[in-house]
Amino acid sequence: MAPRMTDAPSPRAAESPSPEAPSAAPVVKVLLTTVDGADLTMALATVGRQVYDPTPDVVVVGLESEELPEGVARVGSLEEAIAATEADTDYLWILHSDARPRPDALGALVSEVELASAALGGSKLLVAGAGEELESVGGSTDVFGEPHSGLDEGEIDLQQYDVVREVAFVRSASMLVRRDLAQGLKGLDELLPPIAAGLDFSQRARLAGGRVISVPSSEVYHQGRCNEGGRGWREQAGRLRAMVTAYSPLTLLWLIPYDFIVSVLDSLLSLLLLRWRPAVHYVLSWGWNTYHLFSTIALRRRFKPVRLLGDEELFRFQARGSVRLREVGSELSGRILSMFDEDQAIVRGSRRVWGSSGIWGAAIAVLVLAFAMRSFIFIGVPNVGASFPFEVATTSLDRWFAGWNDSGLGSPAPVHPSIGVTGLWSWLWFGAEGAARTLLTIAFGFLAVVGMGRLAGRLGYRGPGRYLSGLVLLAGPGTALLAGSGSWLALAAAASLPWAVRAVFVHPHEVGRGRLSHIGWAALLGIPLAAFSPLLAVVPLLSVMVWRVLGGKSSSFGLALIALLGAVVAVPFLLGDPAWILDSGRRLGLSVVELWPVFLAIAFVPMVFIDSATRRLGALGALLGLVGLLTAGLPYGGPGVEEAALVLASFGAALLVAAGLDVVTMDPRRLMGAVVSVTILLLSIGALGNGRLGLPGGDLNERLGFASALAGDAGPGRVLIASTQRGDIPGEARPGPGFWYRVVDGQGMTSDEVWLPASLPGDDNLDQALRKISGGGELRPGELLGPFAVDWLVLLGPMFRLDEVLIAQLDLAPIPFDPDSRVFANPVSVPLADSGTESIWLRSGTGFAGESGSGRVSLAVNNDDGWSPEPGPHDWHATVSAIDGVASFRGEALNIALAFSTAVLMLLSLGLLFIGRRRR
Amino acid sequence: MKYPSLIIVLALAVGAFLIPAPDAPEPGPPAGVEDPPVSICAIEEGSGRTTEVVILSTVDGPTRLTLFASGESAGSIGQSTGASGSVTIPVVNVAAVGTVGGLIEMPASSSAAGTIVVGAESMSAESCAAIPTQQSFITGGSTIGGQPFELHLMNPYAGEAVVELVVQSEAGIESNDRFESVVVPARSSTVVDFAELIPGRETLSIAIETVKGRVLGVGRQGIDGESAVWKAVEGSQDWYLPIPKGGGSKRLVIGTPSNVEVEYQIDYYGPEGLEEAYLAGTLSPRGQNSFDLAAITEETAGVRIISTGPVVPILWINSEAGFAITTASAVEATRWFLPGAGALAGGQARAVILSVGIDGAIVSVRSLREQSLVRSIDLPADGVVEIGLEIADGYLIESSGPIVAMWVARRDNAGIAAMGVPILDG
Repeated sequence: MAPRMTDAPSPRAAESPSPEAPSAAPVVKVLLTTVDGADLTMALATVGRQVYDPTPDVVVVGLESEELPEGVARVGSLEEAIAATEADTDYLWILHSDARPRPDALGALVSEVELASAALGGSKLLVAGAGEELESVGGSTDVFGEPHSGLDEGEIDLQQYDVVREVAFVRSASMLVRRDLAQGLKGLDELLPPIAAGLDFSQRARLAGGRVISVPSSEVYHQGRCNEGGRGWREQAGRLRAMVTAYSPLTLLWLIPYDFIVSVLDSLLSLLLLRWRPAVHYVLSWGWNTYHLFSTIALRRRFKPVRLLGDEELFRFQARGSVRLREVGSELSGRILSMFDEDQAIVRGSRRVWGSSGIWGAAIAVLVLAFAMRSFIFIGVPNVGASFPFEVATTSLDRWFAGWNDSGLGSPAPVHPSIGVTGLWSWLWFGAEGAARTLLTIAFGFLAVVGMGRLAGRLGYRGPGRYLSGLVLLAGPGTALLAGSGSWLALAAAASLPWAVRAVFVHPHEVGRGRLSHIGWAALLGIPLAAFSPLLAVVPLLSVMVWRVLGGKSSSFGLALIALLGAVVAVPFLLGDPAWILDSGRRLGLSVVELWPVFLAIAFVPMVFIDSATRRLGALGALLGLVGLLTAGLPYGGPGVEEAALVLASFGAALLVAAGLDVVTMDPRRLMGAVVSVTILLLSIGALGNGRLGLPGGDLNERLGFASALAGDAGPGRVLIASTQRGDIPGEARPGPGFWYRVVDGQGMTSDEVWLPASLPGDDNLDQALRKISGGGELRPGELLGPFAVDWLVLLGPMFRLDEVLIAQLDLAPIPFDPDSRVFANPVSVPLADSGTESIWLRSGTGFAGESGSGRVSLAVNNDDGWSPEPGPHDWHATVSAIDGVASFRGEALNIALAFSTAVLMLLSLGLLFIGRRRR
Repeated sequence: MKYPSLIIVLALAVGAFLIPAPDAPEPGPPAGVEDPPVSICAIEEGSGRTTEVVILSTVDGPTRLTLFASGESAGSIGQSTGASGSVTIPVVNVAAVGTVGGLIEMPASSSAAGTIVVGAESMSAESCAAIPTQQSFITGGSTIGGQPFELHLMNPYAGEAVVELVVQSEAGIESNDRFESVVVPARSSTVVDFAELIPGRETLSIAIETVKGRVLGVGRQGIDGESAVWKAVEGSQDWYLPIPKGGGSKRLVIGTPSNVEVEYQIDYYGPEGLEEAYLAGTLSPRGQNSFDLAAITEETAGVRIISTGPVVPILWINSEAGFAITTASAVEATRWFLPGAGALAGGQARAVILSVGIDGAIVSVRSLREQSLVRSIDLPADGVVEIGLEIADGYLIESSGPIVAMWVARRDNAGIAAMGVPILDG
């Protein structure tokens, strides 16, 4: 057991010979500064046990009421104590009352200071109650006074620093200073906390011509009651004050702005580490110094006559750059790199870093990813296919909580579950939807790669393939097709899937431990997976089943069932639109290249004859991948099935690649497996070459920008888009007579509009109108489309029937806005919200708002009783009373309850995680 | 699980490889094609001329005339065809608009419209056209001796139209910037004055090739103060043309928009019945041939023109009965409207009906007015008959066999000849 400072004399002190006091030993006076919470009596006792002759006088500095033993004086301040010291005293030993010096500490200090002709010496501080853990052996600083001890956290004293050396500063907890210098410097700055005070005093001592040394043979246990580990804002403020006090004006001219920049950078980088305190500390620090500016100036003036040396003396022991920036940068990079290797190879030692094959795979995967996502950074995420900007965060969340679904002509049907997730994400980014979307998309890339690496790692695989397989997950046989058709959610689902599957596998070392954390993770990670692709929620359970059948361990059925709970997020959407799963006519019609099943089978065959571990992972991958391909190829199920099957196919292929590249040797079986895996990898990477993770390029909202730019006072209405090619229609499309079509919001399509809810009467009426128009029998198609608030008709792709009939009509004006489409303006469309008066009603959140009145407002949306106030149908659309100046919608109680149940599940999961972590 | 997993994987792979790719989703079946019941008419109002628009229909329903000029509606009027199924709208009651186009929305597809333009010394009539075709052709124009000849291009629709004019005369293909990329703005008309651009041409044929939008072309020929109006139509290989009796200059002009030679044959329906291959010849590329019909007979007759390529024949009459031009009919039908026939107060109107069926036909001629009259006549196979018409907004000719009908009229020294409008459905 480590000796405690209260255990005196210490064994080490007993074993080491007492330094022999010189024949005319210097006279020392002990200035024992009181520290809140420290035991003064014990401090006096340890001072009294010092082996030093002549016995030093002891003065307690502080205003404590505690009674002092006989012979011990008390003064109110250190400055007062120093000033009152008589000339026959050679040295002052400034000691905190929370410090417990060994009996030989003073003698060692005096001896070494005398020997080195130093003006100031500091003891070696050891953390009291922590064995031989070092706290300080003096240290250097950076130019801003940030201390740099050179000690690792928790570093044990193995006498590795036991050499007397000149240092930039010593701590004020135990320092021996020449009496004349102390009186010249007027003692410690009492406004400063201990470390800053020590720094300030040391700097002034050096500038006054004194040497500052660390005396490791003088050991003092320090309880640390006098400071907060040096990280409090007062210490920071004190360092700034010490800097301003010590440096010349010329140096301060560049140093203060430099320090400000460092403060900002440190604050920002700390925010990335989810630390908000540094930013606050900087603000308080600068505020405190501003408040004490005049006293600082006075201090400078007082110090000026004593100063002998220039700033160069301070620069002598300073580290380059900013210690704080270096620390926070190191921590940040450490955290990022540690994500790629559970072994923490990079963080633990550079020599081992590149010996880890997983790191090689991770490095290559990250390089490929950076290349594959370059367009997101330079141009942004494309707005095509099914990839569109997030709506305003609060509006998205409102829609999620059973608000109005504004897709198409609107519907009370719940929105896609991903809207809740993206809404929450945008909200967390303070409503910066664009940045949130870009960052989330980039995150998907990294999450897929890291997720596959972590999943394979949890299953016991350490090779380079586990990270490289993330690229196959992102761009394998299925996701490449989906992403190519513009499915942003395919990337999201691919990024979520390995994490959700990983959550249902328990690391062998973790079995029986952290059960709450495991449950929390399984439930939490099941939510985004089901939100992005509802049917994929069954994959963790499926994986566990297959894994068990294959003889694998460490999987948990219970966790898989808990992960399945995340599917609750998708229940409202699926109940509202079951055809999304059932109606094959709504599929995108994507078909995988026929050779993919062959590739997967060929990749698996050699694995059968390798070891059981490789075989097991290979079999899991091949089975999942082929089931995915088979399901995608069967003409059953709607777009939900198609999406899930294709992502599953890529997931399976990724697992196969992870297995195939886990260990690469010249063994023919492994070699063959590796060759086929690399082939799969290369085929997949090809899809990433466009710099958008395979998403198509373009910006439909920019192309349709005229709709909002030319909108009247009533705001943009809708744009009707039609084409014979399904892929030209953004998001889901409705089948028209010989062409596909849909309406989108004229102010720009957002992600919530991607899915079209089931047809309601308004949709049927629009369909009938389009049939009539496309038949050629309508001379005024604008009048027919007007009630649907269709301001613009845009025809895409090859010329078709609508092009022909719209040549011979009277009220849709063709306008050559876009060389790649045919655009018609409809001058006779109604506003989305029509009050029937001059009063203008505009969109407001998920509803509408305008001037209140006694009339009714006609809304060009499908009618539903959920609209208020005083809803009433008119033909197919809704009307409300204008009395409140607001038209709002609230959905069915069941949908609201289901939405809240997801929120509860998420909070519960987070709670379990929190509790689980604390218990561990 | 070593081999079972291999077997399952291979089975799944074979299954996934062999199942055919699912059919790409298809949109719904195309809607049935139905042209809107509209007609486009050439209107002249002012400069001593006025136009009446006659609308005939088999139903009693609403109809609307909208005049369009300079990108806008210059005037519009709604009427009902009433119990008689007919209505006459004097354009002067709508707007004083000059030379413009008019769009007539009719109550049903079994409707027809026509215009009668009456000037101080001239008259002209022509049936209105449905949605114009992308390519049309007009022949028979002339600018010789300072005769005015204009091509009136009308675009009643919301989109701008652009046409290329290929103009052929006895001098060959005429080259002029004004014939290239002729823009007809939305809801507007453009008039190309050939007398100004290429005077002194005796035979003019114009192919109207629409590059963008839709345009109806109408030729307007003047001779000695009289005028005739006839519309451009799509070329065809089979045409019928009843020929009214009368002397003077009565010519059949056949032109072709084809840029290769076209052979043709003319079958003659005369007093002796049908004489097939009565005449035959070859049209040079984009060329025209003219035949003096009066030289064959001054009696009522008819011709059928069959060709190896697209041609357009017209009847060109300039006699003491007046000056008139009308385009032959590319179709035969059992029901015909004669819009405007009998509407000319103080004039004499006659219908010329050609039976083109194998058998004879019983033809009923119904006047469309408040108290309509019906007459029935027996028409032998390959026979042609000319009957006088009473005052009416127009006539409905119904037959038990396929016929082709037109009407002619004269008042003082002015004449009219206008092909009827076949009722092809309803």
